Amino acid sequence: MSTVSLVLWIIFLPFIAYFLGVLLLGWGKKYTARLQRRYGPYLFQVFFDSIKLLRKRTNISHGWMQDVSVLMLLGGTILTMYFVPFPGFHFFSQYGDFLVVMYLILVPSLGMALGVGETANPNGSIGISRALQMLAGYDIPFALAFIGMAMIHGSTNFYELILRQQELGIAGWGIVTNPFLGIAALFALHGMMGEKPFEVVIAPHEIATGPMTEMGGKYMGMMMITHALQVVVELTIFINLFLGGAENWITYIIKIFALFTIILSVNAVFGRFRVDDAVRFFWKIPLPLAVIGVIFVMI
Amino acid sequence: MSEKLTQRTAWNRVLDKLSGRSLWMLHYCTGCGAIELPPTMTGRFDMERFGIHPMVTPRQADILLITGYLSVKTLKRVILTYEQMQSPKWVVGFGSCTINGGMYWNSYATVKSLDQYMPVELYIAGCMPRPEAIISSFNELIDRIGRGEANSWKDYYENYDFYRKNQEHVFGGPINTRTDVKSDKETFRIQSAGK
Repeated sequence: MSTVSLVLWIIFLPFIAYFLGVLLLGWGKKYTARLQRRYGPYLFQVFFDSIKLLRKRTNISHGWMQDVSVLMLLGGTILTMYFVPFPGFHFFSQYGDFLVVMYLILVPSLGMALGVGETANPNGSIGISRALQMLAGYDIPFALAFIGMAMIHGSTNFYELILRQQELGIAGWGIVTNPFLGIAALFALHGMMGEKPFEVVIAPHEIATGPMTEMGGKYMGMMMITHALQVVVELTIFINLFLGGAENWITYIIKIFALFTIILSVNAVFGRFRVDDAVRFFWKIPLPLAVIGVIFVMI
Repeated sequence: MSEKLTQRTAWNRVLDKLSGRSLWMLHYCTGCGAIELPPTMTGRFDMERFGIHPMVTPRQADILLITGYLSVKTLKRVILTYEQMQSPKWVVGFGSCTINGGMYWNSYATVKSLDQYMPVELYIAGCMPRPEAIISSFNELIDRIGRGEANSWKDYYENYDFYRKNQEHVFGGPINTRTDVKSDKETFRIQSAGK
């Protein structure tokens, strides 16, 4: 990869991912609304929301940690994005493998926890404690699913995993070669994205908006941008691990929209679990599935 | 105020139009008018197609919708909520109770006119207004934001003394809202756009 194209990718990848994230979230809102027999908002609603929030004239800051936390959120997410292979861009994934991504993906959550802690809003604290409890639920099946995939292909490198899967076509996709791991990771992804029934962290109306309760104006605008990027990053990790990555942007967009639509369809028909029910679910179904998957690999 | 402040650049015109497409509404439902909101939000009238979405925390809300009468006790909560919201913010008075007291005109415990205590951008007349009226008034608000004319929120910073005097008159003593509106005006350089 030449230096010029590398620099261009580094500059423009966040913008491309943001555009894609806005489209995905807009499609999500539209699709859910149609399932509920409503017309639904604009397709670019998330973009309008961010514009409005960034143009707010006043801001209430509770201290410098809150100011830094939104930068940690955005910066951590963009950094994670560079280590995840996108079609045409896998420069950094040869230097940092999946373990680096698993580590970096926690930086935004940590930033959020520190910033929300400073706002001292009880709803925010409840949201953060719920987020950490949920982490204990979905992270173990997800890590196990990844370990299984690494054992099958003998590598922890994202790009090599993609190439190995693509050698055999659809028959080589992770979700076909080891459906136990694939399904466990799909559940874990659902929890990671915080869609219903695992919507316990944000939990609108129950604990206001959870961690974001005290974040208004420009803080919230940065968080909206981060959210759009996070959706893309999380879905792309799953595509790379279990759906054979993507050869070009067309197959990538088809795969990412199809995967998100599956998650949205579950989201639209479910209520919200309590946090203990959600963790119990993760330890009852996806965790044993992942263990079975790993045992199959070892045999 | 000078001519310069009322003129908008082309860039701001576009951004005003775009930000009008996203309004998060905090509904303060003490009055009976709240019953008209569920059909406005859900399948039949679907407010979300104009980008208006109910929001649960004042920090993130843009519209404060007061549905119906306010007693002296609830007015204090409304003022606390209003001052926690981030500018630009708009108050929409819903129903005749907020305009002139409505059927509670003779009551000793309710406030008659909402605009004595906080700047109201729009009133929706009726007892109670139908969902069509709510949606048409929100569209009017969106148009005003797009034209850059929805500036009632600046009035609270400009004439803070007037509003605070009325509030203290009805409460019968000074109140502490923990929001320093005057220093906010200085810090964020909020200037009146001129009427």
